[in-house]
Amino acid sequence: MTCDKYENALLLAAASNDELDAKLARHLEHCSTCRMTLRSERELFSRIDRTLRAQVNEDPPSAFLAQLRLQLSKELTARSGWNRVWHVAGAALALILIAALYPLVNARQSSVQGNLATPTIRVAQSARITQSARAREDFAVRSRHHSKHPAVQGAAAREPEVLVPPDEQKAFVQFVACVAGRDAIAQAVVTRAANKTVNRNTELPQVPSVDIADLQLGRARQEEWINQTGSSE
Amino acid sequence: MQEFTWPGRTAETELALDLEKAALRREFEQRLEECGTLAFRIACGVLRNTADAEDVAQEAMLRSYRRFARLRDRSRFRAWLVRISFRLALDHGRCTRRRQQRETAWATDLPKPTAEDIAASNEFARRLQKAMRALPEKSQLVLLLTSIDGHSLEEVAELLQLPVGTVKSRLHSARKQLAEKLR
Repeated sequence: MTCDKYENALLLAAASNDELDAKLARHLEHCSTCRMTLRSERELFSRIDRTLRAQVNEDPPSAFLAQLRLQLSKELTARSGWNRVWHVAGAALALILIAALYPLVNARQSSVQGNLATPTIRVAQSARITQSARAREDFAVRSRHHSKHPAVQGAAAREPEVLVPPDEQKAFVQFVACVAGRDAIAQAVVTRAANKTVNRNTELPQVPSVDIADLQLGRARQEEWINQTGSSE
Repeated sequence: MQEFTWPGRTAETELALDLEKAALRREFEQRLEECGTLAFRIACGVLRNTADAEDVAQEAMLRSYRRFARLRDRSRFRAWLVRISFRLALDHGRCTRRRQQRETAWATDLPKPTAEDIAASNEFARRLQKAMRALPEKSQLVLLLTSIDGHSLEEVAELLQLPVGTVKSRLHSARKQLAEKLR
């Protein structure tokens, strides 16, 4: 065996400071070069360890801990001060937001209530009055109202005018056209409703040319005519 | 200035919160001396400069204090602080200007037993420092921790939350690399 074969074993033994392998120990007894190598390697590792220990085990300056405590106290004071500032600022911001949003929310609520009540009343009134003037006036007022208040307009656009099942929409168109005398308005009303139920029924009802019934018909006759139209569908 | 009180909070709640804060502070201060020194030594091992190490250790302690309440397992505080200090020290050491200042300062700060040893000792320390910087960060940390306070492999493994075998192999590899560079 040559000394090269022991090179790694020598380095390992020097680095680990463990007991020597029996074979290596026997070799070292006869080889002075390897003994020298082992000694110098051990000296190197020992020097590395000594230098590292000397460098990293230095005690902190005597004022270090006192300064640290001082910093911590400052930190605590600063944090409680900032906490107070944040609390006050947060409360002020919340108040401002409430003050700013309250009128909007209030207006929206009143608009929604109005919109929920209006359609049924209007249709019922139209049916009683049997004249288109009132319906036109009502529609015009509502349109103006919506266009002037953007917040309300959004809310109103989302609210259904009248909920009509899809299979009754055609009949309803004819009914509205009949009582209000305005087939364009009727179509607009139904179109809006159809858009909302787009998931259930994507096809808009095809409104045929509506024959405007005699507006002077009596109520009983009118209902009879509507019933006939509905049953024929 | 009067202390701000949330509308939903009673005086008792405020008192309980204050007491909790005070208890946390006491608990932290109990660890201050031991852990402050550890943080300083880690920083010193990386930076080789007492003044810089002091700054880094203070910063590490302040950061750990800010997050102390959120630390679920308080027994891991030392491990946590070790990582914070080491990371901060590495970041600090990356500043070139400070590094240059540190190198010159370190050369004059080293303890010198005899006049003849000065040059050799300083030279070896400088070479060792350079070789350390070339090591991977995880190896550097293992070397530092095993050198600080004569920590055993088990203690270092606990601090780093690693298996003892991993620590041992990292240490061996790091020493071998250092020796190759210093030979």
